[in-house]
Amino acid sequence: MDPAGVFATSFARDQALIRTRQQWIAFTLFILALFVLPYVVGPRLVAISTAMMISAVVVIGLQINTGYAGQVNLGQAAFMGVGAYATGVLATKAGLPFWLSIPLGGGAAAVFGFVFGLSAVRIKGFYLALTTIAAQALFHFLILNLPSSWFGASNGLSLEPATFFGIALATDRSIYYLCLVVAIIMAFGAYGIVRSSHGRAFVAVRDDDVASGMMGINVVRTKATAFLIGAFYAGIGGGLWAYYVRFVAVDQFTLFHSIWFIAMIIVGGMGSVTGALIGVFIITAIREGFVTLGPSLVHQFPALGGDVVFATMNVFLGGIIAAFLIFEPRGLMHRWNIMKRSYRLWPFPY
Amino acid sequence: MSAAAQADSSAFRDAVHARAPVLTAQGIRLAFGGVVALNDVSVTVGADELVAIIGPNGAGKTSLMNCLSGFYRPQKGEVRFNGNLISGKSVHDIARLGLARTFQGTHIFSGMTVIENIMVGRHIHMKSSIPAAFLHFGPARAEEFRHREVVEEIIELLEIQSIRHQPVGSLGYGLRKRVDLGRALAQEPKILLMDEPMAGMNTEEKEDLARFVLDVREARSIPVVLVEHDMGVVMDLADRIVVLDFGRKIAEGTPKQIQTDPVVLKAYLGEGDR
Repeated sequence: MDPAGVFATSFARDQALIRTRQQWIAFTLFILALFVLPYVVGPRLVAISTAMMISAVVVIGLQINTGYAGQVNLGQAAFMGVGAYATGVLATKAGLPFWLSIPLGGGAAAVFGFVFGLSAVRIKGFYLALTTIAAQALFHFLILNLPSSWFGASNGLSLEPATFFGIALATDRSIYYLCLVVAIIMAFGAYGIVRSSHGRAFVAVRDDDVASGMMGINVVRTKATAFLIGAFYAGIGGGLWAYYVRFVAVDQFTLFHSIWFIAMIIVGGMGSVTGALIGVFIITAIREGFVTLGPSLVHQFPALGGDVVFATMNVFLGGIIAAFLIFEPRGLMHRWNIMKRSYRLWPFPY
Repeated sequence: MSAAAQADSSAFRDAVHARAPVLTAQGIRLAFGGVVALNDVSVTVGADELVAIIGPNGAGKTSLMNCLSGFYRPQKGEVRFNGNLISGKSVHDIARLGLARTFQGTHIFSGMTVIENIMVGRHIHMKSSIPAAFLHFGPARAEEFRHREVVEEIIELLEIQSIRHQPVGSLGYGLRKRVDLGRALAQEPKILLMDEPMAGMNTEEKEDLARFVLDVREARSIPVVLVEHDMGVVMDLADRIVVLDFGRKIAEGTPKQIQTDPVVLKAYLGEGDR
């Protein structure tokens, strides 16, 4: 790095995400660490990491839809569920391999999301949020009321492990690698999309739909596309989930889950793919931390009783999100950027 | 400039040299309920001409602007742009025909940097699909760089190099208006409509922007329609002036003619003062 900072001398350098050699080294080490992780940590941490990878895919989709295009979406878990069910059906009934059933599951979710995205054409804000909650309700209603031979109704759907060149991905470790690779591909793609003219159109529609119309952006189509992409990501995440748990049921994809996904992009920072990843990490880590801490607390203070401890945990977790909304509504990415700038300018204030 | 962009700009120069009027509005009537904002207004903008629309407050200048840019649909009359009927077309299709406008106040994408804002102006010229964008490396990236080059030229023209990576939300009013202009220029329009670009600016900012308008005309030789309050700016810049009052066109002519037109003096500048 030059003493006065990093200055790009080409467009390629200017728009690169990783700009210095130090960053390249850090990035490579990080990816390597992710790949050796299952051999270093215990099975519980591997399971949590797998869940993080799956959430990451879903939340990146939500970030594109809500963070970039500004379309509030409280139905991301339903879109994920559609992906999971579609993948499950395609794998069990049609016998498709996972590398076909997961993308097709994503496609099914994308179609479902696109239909609800069309409602974003006429309505905004709160009303759109309500419509996406309707997606959630509709998803549950359909699964539970359609004949059980279709989607298993309330019994759920069981899957065989995914096979890859004859190797069954049945262990937690192998599923972790599947999720890791898919998450890396999807994150890479998300960085590409948000830096393209499509990504700029999303932000333009979010910031000012009158001006974006004058710029030649088809506002209606852009909003629907944002839903389509967001739901596609959710569907891919759902497909991974189906192969990870190998059992799909409606209560895995509730409104509650959708709200968690929103919480992740709020904590990480709206309008940043990296923020989505950070949000997933922070929220999952805190949640799992509590889950681990809970029983030992009950053990230490039996007088409190399990009910009280677990209820308090949820209140505390909700409190963290509320605190973010009050003190850092733009998320950790925003705080990080501020810190980065003041570090560069130090010892001067500006 | 890349070959494709060069071909674009030469095609658009040919269009300029055709002498037919670029934008015509015939007998426009626009009413909001009982209020008649525009009544039987006709305006013609020829190739390479700067037409200013002036008038006292509430004369219907911005309404006319919104009709010309296809934002409002007049109840009577039609607007044609290079022969295409505009009234009734959707706004993004009109933009694709080559009509760009800047806004009164700021309608800028405050969450984006200056570069990104102007790159949005290139949207209509960018063709990469979503799968190509997903892959990023390859055609999408090449296209991005090609258009970035065009944007850098605009940034140089408008002298905003030093702020190119700043979020627009943090810029002052004068600079935002400059970004707004840059965004419109990035569309490579065949006509540029500017709605009160100088409103709320101090003298220095006005002079800067007036200079940029002249630079743009010189560099692009495209017709410009200017709605403006500031008389000094209008008299200096315009080739032709259209004067509105109470929704009617009361006069049209060169700045000299308008300055001495008794009807205009009476309606707008006050009687016998100049």
